[in-house]
Amino acid sequence: MNVFIRRNLLLIIVLAALFGIFAAAAQGMETQDFVITLLRGLSVGSLTFLVASGFSIIFGLLDVLNLAHGTLFMIGAYIGWTVYVRPDTFLDIVIPFILILSGFFLRDVWVSLAMRGLFAGRMKRILPWLGLLIAILILVVILPRYPIATWSVDNYAESPTSISYLAGQGQYILPPPTSFDEISPILAFGGLIMASLVGAFSLSILGGGKQPLQARISWRSFIGFTILLLLAFIIFIFNDPITNALAVLNGNLLFLVALLVAVGSGALLGSLMESTLIRPLYVRPIYQLMLTLGLSAIGIEMVRSLWGRPEFTMPRPELFAGTGEGCPAASLAGWWNYHCSTMILLDGRIRVYNEIFIPTIGLVVLIGVWVLLKRTRLGMVIRAGVQDREMVEALGINVRRVFTQVFALGVGLAALGGVLAAPSIGLSNVMGESFLLNALIALAIGGLTSYPGAALGSLLVGLLQQFIIKYGAIGIPIPYTDLVFKPTPPIVPASTILLMVIVLLILPNGLLGKKE
Amino acid sequence: MEIKKPLSTLKPNQGMLVTLLVFLLMPFVVGLIEGASPAQVWVNESGQSKFLQGLAIEIFILALYALSYDLILGFTGLLSFGHSMFYAVGAYLTGILLKSFGLTLWATLGCVFLAAILQALLFGMVLPRVKGITFALVTLGMASVFHVLVMSAELGKYTGSDVGLQGVLVPDFISPATERLRLYYIALTILVLVFMLYKRFVNSPTGRVCTAIRENEGRAKMLGYNTFYFKLAALILSSLTAALAGVLHTIYQPIVSPNVAGLGFTVAALLIILIGGVGTLSGALIGAVIYRLLDFGLRRYLGEGASFINGAIYVLFVLFLPFGIVGTWRLKSLGIKAGRERLLGLFRKTNQ
Amino acid sequence: MDILLDVQGIHTFIGQYHILQGVDVSIPQGAITALLGRNGAGKTTTLKSILGLTPPRQGRVIFRGREIQGMRSFEIAALGIGFVPEHRAVFRDLTVEENLKIAERKKGDYPRKQDFIFTLFPDLKRLIGLMGTNLSGGQQQMLAIARALVADNQLLLIDEPSEGLAPVLIEQLIKAIHQLSADSTVVLVEQNFLVASQLAEYYVIIEEGRSVRQGKMKDLIQDKETIHRYLEAA
Repeated sequence: MNVFIRRNLLLIIVLAALFGIFAAAAQGMETQDFVITLLRGLSVGSLTFLVASGFSIIFGLLDVLNLAHGTLFMIGAYIGWTVYVRPDTFLDIVIPFILILSGFFLRDVWVSLAMRGLFAGRMKRILPWLGLLIAILILVVILPRYPIATWSVDNYAESPTSISYLAGQGQYILPPPTSFDEISPILAFGGLIMASLVGAFSLSILGGGKQPLQARISWRSFIGFTILLLLAFIIFIFNDPITNALAVLNGNLLFLVALLVAVGSGALLGSLMESTLIRPLYVRPIYQLMLTLGLSAIGIEMVRSLWGRPEFTMPRPELFAGTGEGCPAASLAGWWNYHCSTMILLDGRIRVYNEIFIPTIGLVVLIGVWVLLKRTRLGMVIRAGVQDREMVEALGINVRRVFTQVFALGVGLAALGGVLAAPSIGLSNVMGESFLLNALIALAIGGLTSYPGAALGSLLVGLLQQFIIKYGAIGIPIPYTDLVFKPTPPIVPASTILLMVIVLLILPNGLLGKKE
Repeated sequence: MEIKKPLSTLKPNQGMLVTLLVFLLMPFVVGLIEGASPAQVWVNESGQSKFLQGLAIEIFILALYALSYDLILGFTGLLSFGHSMFYAVGAYLTGILLKSFGLTLWATLGCVFLAAILQALLFGMVLPRVKGITFALVTLGMASVFHVLVMSAELGKYTGSDVGLQGVLVPDFISPATERLRLYYIALTILVLVFMLYKRFVNSPTGRVCTAIRENEGRAKMLGYNTFYFKLAALILSSLTAALAGVLHTIYQPIVSPNVAGLGFTVAALLIILIGGVGTLSGALIGAVIYRLLDFGLRRYLGEGASFINGAIYVLFVLFLPFGIVGTWRLKSLGIKAGRERLLGLFRKTNQ
Repeated sequence: MDILLDVQGIHTFIGQYHILQGVDVSIPQGAITALLGRNGAGKTTTLKSILGLTPPRQGRVIFRGREIQGMRSFEIAALGIGFVPEHRAVFRDLTVEENLKIAERKKGDYPRKQDFIFTLFPDLKRLIGLMGTNLSGGQQQMLAIARALVADNQLLLIDEPSEGLAPVLIEQLIKAIHQLSADSTVVLVEQNFLVASQLAEYYVIIEEGRSVRQGKMKDLIQDKETIHRYLEAA
């Protein structure tokens, strides 16, 4: 025990100091305000943690500073919004998406075809590019003509802002479904499948690299492929009924679907990013930085062009939206019965979604990822790989595949954060940047590659922010004077940054970080 | 130090000299093309020439800014996310001192340089404790604080908050409206002088130590160099240059937008030296030209989509031309493994 | 005597440095072969080139009849090559047990090999729950070797195991390596000639990136001239 104290003396002192400040802050306000501010801090901290933990795992294992992480957070939010507020759009998009994805499930077939040496020499070099070109051409022809019910970015009445507003009011009228006017469904489907097959084939040759040891065609790929096609057809045929079913629910199940889709898209996007763009650049670290910056800019622009610039909101799921009888709830039981949006806690009012649900999910994720890291084989490989990538590879483990999985996990977490945040703080083009900055500060404070550090840092950042905001409202009386100091809004980010600088000056690796 | 004969310095710098000549003559040549006589150009009455001079001045300012970033990132290996602050302090301070305090230009310059040195010291202060990425984050933090301060309502009286600082009274003798040609040549001269200074610095013993620090700080330390002072020297020089660029900015454009204090502007510097070639001084110049022209052209013809193209260009350069234009050109023309390895060394981890 | 591993004329570059300038090594199956040479001669690089961590630019590496140069490291390792690197590379954030478990290639490797490992290194059993960072140098070395024994590795590449160990620990080390060599082929990089001569049956001398001598250890021990020329401090 003594050794432990001696080794971590500085850390213990800093933590004690922080706790002391925290306690002093508690004195300065009434209990109910304190608890509410605490909960708000937990809420912001949880969202920050979702972004920070993903970033930290990616940085720890891959040495990649994914500066696009904030943008991915934002994309998760926007995708979640789309699924939740416009399930018809979602279903319309899902179909071509599944079809395009299907070809990639036959990877085994492609690889073994390529290995058979059916094509040699010059053909081998031209063919994949040709195939890619064909696939892209087909997509360019079909996709614009494929009917997808969307909104209009320019026309205000049909813009996401209005749609959200109406949805929030409970006026939830979906536009009439679009139909296959410009292209026949058979042509569209066939074309998409064809493009997928050709494209996947070309890409697998291009991405080829070294020849794998085995090139067996497993039956699973065919089964996977067929399942995807079936899924697409089913959704297509039953598009309207499914849409209506989802729309009627307008609530918890749909929100859950939105969450899952956002996380899944995030994971998919992450794997894609890692395998195509980041991977070739492992040897040049500073370029990954610039690359992720560039991707971030592209991502923001795409979101702007698809959803427009103005900010809008996302309604809360029905479970947290009640305002009628029995609300505000007097206790959690009351909330459960009436699904109130607010609750009375110690004479103060809190929003159930923001202050209770989000921190709960944050806690669940914290524990979940912790379990993943500590108790699964993948987690073991990640922890070992963060330390010594080379040795892990020397043990016969395909570290690169783990990289992709980790990247997918990190981005999935960020996307989850985005969807969760959307009903609470709304959707805007800049939500990603501010959360990324918060996350970076949290990581700097807690320790860049430490998982518990990410949690601690996020907690501190969230709490500090909220407490300063609260004091901005009630003011801090300066002792022995009549002056009351009211921190203004700019001081909020400044204070977290100041905390970061102070912590770093004392403990350069962050509170829980270790020397590399 | 041997005194170089004028002719021997000319030969290797042929490209630079030709470019210099082009820029020296540009206003008059353009004037001739649009039908204005040299006399008209001289008194600032030619439309096209004046417009292009303005564009060129912006390029010179950007080049100065990019050069300063290349010095710390490309040569000394210090990754900073707060570089825009160096520039913004120059720009805002100039504006505030000229407008709200009515100081003379020279007094303003003096104050700006003082502020620049203080800033460099501020950034440098954390150096002994903090390395690599963490240093980058701290610099980001400091710059963010400045950005927030500049945008705040409390200081709006001086800074103009989120609207920006407006209505700066620029001394007549270099007013961009009436004396643009003079401003043009002044800016060009400053750029040339600074560039030559940088070239001297980089090849001086101090500069070489900075390069050594970028390659392998541990080894430099073991050779007995107190790397802290060298890094600080680079920071100070960089800060002064960026601040100078900021001063020119305010003189040329009597409106200072808070964007110049934001992360986006630091990223712009990064992009410029990426395009030109990180760690090659001339890369900053070429990058600035391309960046500004692209920005101008894209905005004119594409409007909204410009940022998208910006990001796409970033990505394309990183994937296909990571050494930038000058870097790739040097690689190809050198063709020696040594040259390639030298440049490759630039891209190992910065300053761990 | 079968040749398990055949290295033919490999050239390896690290950055711009031409580290290995033609190394030929034949490793006989079932015996311990020592890679000897002065500091910086290229012994560790040779091991890393075999494993693909620093892939050779030229030359061939043949393991059990199959060419492995150019393959990815994890694929090479998975063919049955265990690696005990210089400085041990024990995972500090993992427990002793996790360090062993992570080395599994087939499910159940670790439970199967447990007895064997704990017989060889009884101390490890006692330390099973400790974090890697809390082990002493000697314990880490035991763990590093044990880790290479978890999976079914026909070939073990061991790099400078005696480095930094106290003499009494070196004794234990020599005993352990003797025992495990009964079932596996070992390539042992050792600067400490005393250790190498007690363990190895064959030797290869690397000098300035080239293999210069090969043969039986018992012959080398008598050959004072060669020892002086290639192995003693210049």
